[in-house]
Amino acid sequence: MAEYIKLIDISKCTGCRGCQVACKNWNSLPAEKTTFTGSLQNPKDLSYNTWTLIRFDEIVKDGKLRWIMRHDACMHCDWPACVKACPSPGALTKTDEGAVVHNTTYCIGCKACIAACPFDIPRNDPALEKMAKCSLCYDRITEGKLPACVTACNTGSLTFGLKEDMVEKAHKRAEAIGGTVYPNNPKYQTHVLYVLPAGITAADLSHTNPNPSMPLSVLLWKNLFKPFTLIGIGAVAGGAFLHYLTKGPHKVHEKKEEGGE
Amino acid sequence: MSAHEENMVRITDVEERVVHWVLAASCIFCVITGLGLMFHAWSIIPTMLGGYYATKLMHIYSGVVFGGMLVYSYYMWKKDCEFEESDLQWVLKAGGYLWPVKDLPPVYKYNAGQKAFFWCLIACGIIILVTGLFMWLWNPVMVPVVLARIMYMLHAGAVVVLAAFIMIHIYLGTAGNPGTVSAMITGYVSKAWCQTHCPRWYADRNKKAE
Repeated sequence: MAEYIKLIDISKCTGCRGCQVACKNWNSLPAEKTTFTGSLQNPKDLSYNTWTLIRFDEIVKDGKLRWIMRHDACMHCDWPACVKACPSPGALTKTDEGAVVHNTTYCIGCKACIAACPFDIPRNDPALEKMAKCSLCYDRITEGKLPACVTACNTGSLTFGLKEDMVEKAHKRAEAIGGTVYPNNPKYQTHVLYVLPAGITAADLSHTNPNPSMPLSVLLWKNLFKPFTLIGIGAVAGGAFLHYLTKGPHKVHEKKEEGGE
Repeated sequence: MSAHEENMVRITDVEERVVHWVLAASCIFCVITGLGLMFHAWSIIPTMLGGYYATKLMHIYSGVVFGGMLVYSYYMWKKDCEFEESDLQWVLKAGGYLWPVKDLPPVYKYNAGQKAFFWCLIACGIIILVTGLFMWLWNPVMVPVVLARIMYMLHAGAVVVLAAFIMIHIYLGTAGNPGTVSAMITGYVSKAWCQTHCPRWYADRNKKAE
């Protein structure tokens, strides 16, 4: 199965929020009432019903003021911490296409994925006890269609295609504008890539993880504590059995019965 | 007094036995449901219990019972489980369980191993209780994600230690020490058992009875 990547060229984004609306439309997500906070940031954050939004940053760098609009949604990690942390099979799945897909039917609302995500993407609804996030429009891409947000993008900031093509395109574009590709980490690959404009790094932007990785806590939990729960129980059970065979049970000294006191 | 009762000594009261078994049952139920949630290959457990969501709820409510009993048992047994100087000697001789020991320091009510188990249960239990309550009730909007990660990790980490120690507890309370298990069922053990396992407590008890 072919792997796909969504490429986000920040230098082309005008912050029109067409992607936000298209996402709501395709996924039948209700709009949220928001209030003016003095910033172009609207809505303020991702939510159970808002799977993608434009992050707005005012950055002063080298004496220059810059407005950065960044399309933010699930990064669809190759080695997703949310899937590793999830206790309920089928609630979160890594697909062959590269998308990390959630199935609300199986979600039990344990919030483990929210704690595990290196990009702070999954959101929960406390009343429903379910999580939700961007699915890379898995229902569209498996039918040969583009993700809803990509279809709505009118500047070409969002593009979608085969993994190899998109990686090449990202590096070519970054080279052309003197920018960088993020996250450009061969050890932590994602199915969403950014082209950041010249002079802007991931650390300058809000809600990014400049060095994404599988959280150490998830590794300790799932790769160490999880097996050692059984190893510990098994080792003691085996040890106890061996003790019973070799040393025998601890017998009560019947002789002492009358003496002692 | 029947002949049977004459040879027996009451070592636990009904309060201790009820708390012990409610604590044990809720703990074991939490371990079983927890393993069912942790190992996808053991989906038979959540399936039998009515699905993963139901299993989560049962794990949480059983955990609340466990937590309540844990706090109760702390106040009930903390005095009996205070360490004393001779406990070190008992530990250095492994309580006579691993190699022959002649001059084992006489034990009061609980030996150093039992006391260690109690304090391990309290320490790990409190970690499991606090992290469990956190995992159940935390609001991702208000809590830093780093704290949440530590909580999920500690919940599993404390179980590794406690589950292994509980297995030791079960072995030494049943097959490893014949005549012991009745202490937590009828509440009575034999006089000879007392002479062997808690001679100082037994002598004290007889003095008080006189």
